Amino acid sequence: MDKIGIFLCSGCEIDSAIKLDGLQAVANENGISTTINPCLCSPEGVAAIRKAVDDGQINGVLIGACSPRAKSDEFRFDPTKVAVERVSLREHVAWSHEPGNENTQALAEDLLRMGIAKIQKMNLAKPAQEAIEDTVLVVGGGLAGLCAAEAASGLGKPVVLVEAKEELGGYLAGVTSLVPEIPPYEKPASNHLSELIAKVTESSKVRVLTSCKIKQISGQPGQFDVEVESAQGAQKFKAGAIVQATGARPYDAHKLPHLGYGKFADVITSHQLEQMLKQGKLLRPSNKQAPKRVLFVQCAGSRDPDHLPYCSSECCATSLKQVSAIHKSNADVECLVVYRDLRAPGQLERFYLGVQEEPGSLFVRGVVDKVENGGGQLKVTVGDSMLGKDSVLTADLVVLAVGMVPNSADGEALRKIADAKVRVEKNESEVQVAEAKKQIEELKRHEGTEILNLVYRQGPDLPALRYDFPDSHYICFPYETRRTGIYSAGAVHAPMDAAQAADDGWGAAMKAVQCIEANKRSEALHPRAGDVSVADFFLQRCTQCKRCTEECPFGSLNEDVKGTPQYNQLRCRRCGICLGACPERIISFPEFSVDAVSSMVKAISVPEDYEEKPRIIAFMCENDAYPALDEAAAKRIQWNPWVRIIPVRCLGAVNIIWVADSLSRGIDGLILLGCKSGDDYQCHYMRGSELAQTRFGNIQETLNRLALEPERIRIVELARNEFERAPQILDEFSQTLQDLGANPLKGF
Amino acid sequence: MGDKTELITSSEFQQELRKRGGLSVSRCFQCATCSSVCQLAPAEAPFPRRQMLWAQWGLTERLMTDPGVWLCHQCNDCNTRCPRDAKPGDVMQTIRSLAIERLAVPGFMGRLVGRAATTWPLLIGIPFLFWIVALYAVNGLEPPASPLVYDHFVPHWLIYIVYFTTTGLVSLATLASGLRFWNMLGKGAQRSGSFISSLIGVLIEIAVHKRFAKCETNASRRLGHFMLLWGFVGAALASGLIIVALYIMHEEMPLAFLHPFKIVGNIAAVLLVAGGVAVLLNRLQPDQRAGAPTAYDNFFLSVVLLVIASGVLTELGRYFLDPLIACWIYIIHLSAVLSLFATFPYSKFAHMLYRTLAMVHERMTTSQNK
Repeated sequence: MDKIGIFLCSGCEIDSAIKLDGLQAVANENGISTTINPCLCSPEGVAAIRKAVDDGQINGVLIGACSPRAKSDEFRFDPTKVAVERVSLREHVAWSHEPGNENTQALAEDLLRMGIAKIQKMNLAKPAQEAIEDTVLVVGGGLAGLCAAEAASGLGKPVVLVEAKEELGGYLAGVTSLVPEIPPYEKPASNHLSELIAKVTESSKVRVLTSCKIKQISGQPGQFDVEVESAQGAQKFKAGAIVQATGARPYDAHKLPHLGYGKFADVITSHQLEQMLKQGKLLRPSNKQAPKRVLFVQCAGSRDPDHLPYCSSECCATSLKQVSAIHKSNADVECLVVYRDLRAPGQLERFYLGVQEEPGSLFVRGVVDKVENGGGQLKVTVGDSMLGKDSVLTADLVVLAVGMVPNSADGEALRKIADAKVRVEKNESEVQVAEAKKQIEELKRHEGTEILNLVYRQGPDLPALRYDFPDSHYICFPYETRRTGIYSAGAVHAPMDAAQAADDGWGAAMKAVQCIEANKRSEALHPRAGDVSVADFFLQRCTQCKRCTEECPFGSLNEDVKGTPQYNQLRCRRCGICLGACPERIISFPEFSVDAVSSMVKAISVPEDYEEKPRIIAFMCENDAYPALDEAAAKRIQWNPWVRIIPVRCLGAVNIIWVADSLSRGIDGLILLGCKSGDDYQCHYMRGSELAQTRFGNIQETLNRLALEPERIRIVELARNEFERAPQILDEFSQTLQDLGANPLKGF
Repeated sequence: MGDKTELITSSEFQQELRKRGGLSVSRCFQCATCSSVCQLAPAEAPFPRRQMLWAQWGLTERLMTDPGVWLCHQCNDCNTRCPRDAKPGDVMQTIRSLAIERLAVPGFMGRLVGRAATTWPLLIGIPFLFWIVALYAVNGLEPPASPLVYDHFVPHWLIYIVYFTTTGLVSLATLASGLRFWNMLGKGAQRSGSFISSLIGVLIEIAVHKRFAKCETNASRRLGHFMLLWGFVGAALASGLIIVALYIMHEEMPLAFLHPFKIVGNIAAVLLVAGGVAVLLNRLQPDQRAGAPTAYDNFFLSVVLLVIASGVLTELGRYFLDPLIACWIYIIHLSAVLSLFATFPYSKFAHMLYRTLAMVHERMTTSQNK
């Protein structure tokens, strides 16, 4: 921006910590006028800023007051008219450093210089107005999908509900009753699926397509182009957002030979038992006689690294329900439930207590090792039962409570297959072809699993994450997947029971509606909710390295035939990971760019004389690390005055060039503070902190070659609640740098 | 089958256990808090965690041959600390009642008393009818003239015939059950030392209620139980002394109020009344520190209280009541005592036998108690 106004606040202890005329001098050096207000967030203070903006005197507002996380409503201006940058004089200076100290003053002046440098490079946001479609596409007509359709149509959105089978209903269509859903959680709930189906199919807002296959979905949220083939004919329509509720299927019990499935007719799965109960005929398949003793094997194949490593969370409750149903029809049938840990989540404990006390029910802890023929009966060997040694129980019918496998498709694996096939076709070298063929063979099980058929560079379906569930951020953002505007609900989202699946359907539908509404306002979805700026690609300089298209966590970028990125702004979440990836530095946002941050780095005054005055730059993720440090400041925890903090959208948005800029400026060290990576990542953009780890792992080798100590760069993962640790990390790093001595490039 | 055992689980036993007051056993999830807090559980074979497990599985055989079931004094420290309200103390009590039933000789008597919930009118009514019929046959139920001499109403010879016969039969049944239990306990256990000296040690322990002293939750029961025990000992002693007074010292009946034998009897009566009241009050505590009442427990306690109350009223009735009323109270007393005696090996009273044997067995199988 060219017309900048600086507004400084002297309240909240800022005045007593630093000399504001020193800051004014810094502003004067840059030829910018300053206004000082004793309470800038007061109506008068805000009115003064607004007046300057409205008069057209300024198009850039630099506020030196509290953290950008505070008073955000007061200091919110139209981003299409004015750029705003905030310098945290309160949290990062006054509350966290010794008042009146020259180093504190130097810190404040540096922060202001950095703010000025940044705002000079900032541009006004130019939100692109796009036509946004209202329709919600719900994929899957089971309970979650039906609830999603009900919720979205209830919110006034047209819904297209597509179902692969001939009838709606999904898994619950074959279920008699449900586990208790309402207080006092003692009796099974009735299956209310048919009423729900009637309600949804009768709704004028909902169009149901059965026996449906999705041929292709192209475009972006708000503008998806969907092509399907169904019993109602081939159709093309637009959709604004998608809910994938494709459910789950039972784990294949044939993979559990030790439990005798497929070998003995009287070993059945809980799903087969459910069918029998639904037909009202509980008979042993071998001789069509009523069983006297039914033995339930819990965790059949679940929580087992060789089968399903996870708990499906509903099998125990389902067995409880089935025991209760068996006893209801015949109280004399003995039901033995052998469990590892009986899991009755939530209020279902109350149900469990009741079923336990039913005459003829016996719940025992143990692991079923083997099911064998016992002459007319089945002999079940139970180990780890606390009875000392393996024991054998006899039973007429053995029920395997098998877990659930999500009906998901692994988009990334499917893309790898497609890429490998291209390589085979190109036939560039024998080695390449052999490798590609090997890859195709390895990934064979994924072939033909396509569900959404997205036209996305990163694959035709949602990436399947841990255990093949496409849920991407279960801690902070439920229903989110790694594709913006596509939400997962029900058993494909996570293993769950009917009550949860219903909630999940409603929840995902609301996210879908939220996505459509935000798109209409040209706003990004969270975590940068409300951000109206979009990325700008200076494609003339693009070298088609494909790093941005590979690394975007949301699949925002497609490629043309040459590999040039094609930006889909409605898929974009504004994390800036592409900006961090780009070696040519051609990607920028109006208010956050490689150039702007480089300028901030360069604005820091680095004392020639090192004597106890090192300079450190901390790139802090604005999601967790930055707020944690704000909280430390609010608790008046102090840290060293050598650190200059630059907030970034994500650690993945840190471009390597900033390291070169910093070190060549004589900065003694860089520290990056971001969210946790790994299996239980807390990165708000899923892959950002992981990518930063990789990128900075590579750069440390380079530092070695330049005879710079790799210790000068550090990445630390910090959780939002670790506010006490944040200042400690900064102090420890400062100590490390003091031990290393001055940056040898200082003064060059 | 190698080291595998085929489990003979008895759902019949489980059903019976649940019906008789052990329903809460199904709640146990084997955390072993009960065994850790139990002050009485021996370190090498702690209870009641494993008994809860066996009870869940319906492993009757193991429960019947386990001394731990009997070493438990139902302090209920486990009940108050159980995180899942499985009430191990109550379950153990129910297991004991089932054990008494299964060890009973003859078996039908065990089942009759075991089902006291429905059979209690028989158990009390038959002795009462017996006395009515017997007395009608002897003296036409004619109440004697004042001053009341009970001997004129119920001749001593009749009392001897009835009680000596009952005691004899019951002793045989007790001996048979005791031997059966002792042999079952001995299976697979290495006993050492002398039975007699171990028994003496155990009796001393019982005399001072050493184990009850370790109870916390149900600590208030100790005094009541102690007084009842010694009250019954005193009553038995007084009964013996009466025979001495009658046939050796040729004293005139009824004995003078300050006669030493009478004093022994009266001290016993005071102990019994005080103990009975204490036990009853403890039972009625709203926190159920003595465990949830079952019909089986209630039957035994009611008969004991009836014996005490009718006994005291019989003695007082001689002085203060109309002879007709006093005589009917006396009949009730005689019936209650008969009921108590006759059901000894089958009611909760049998814990005297089995717990003593289990304690002797414990002494003979572990070193620490010697």
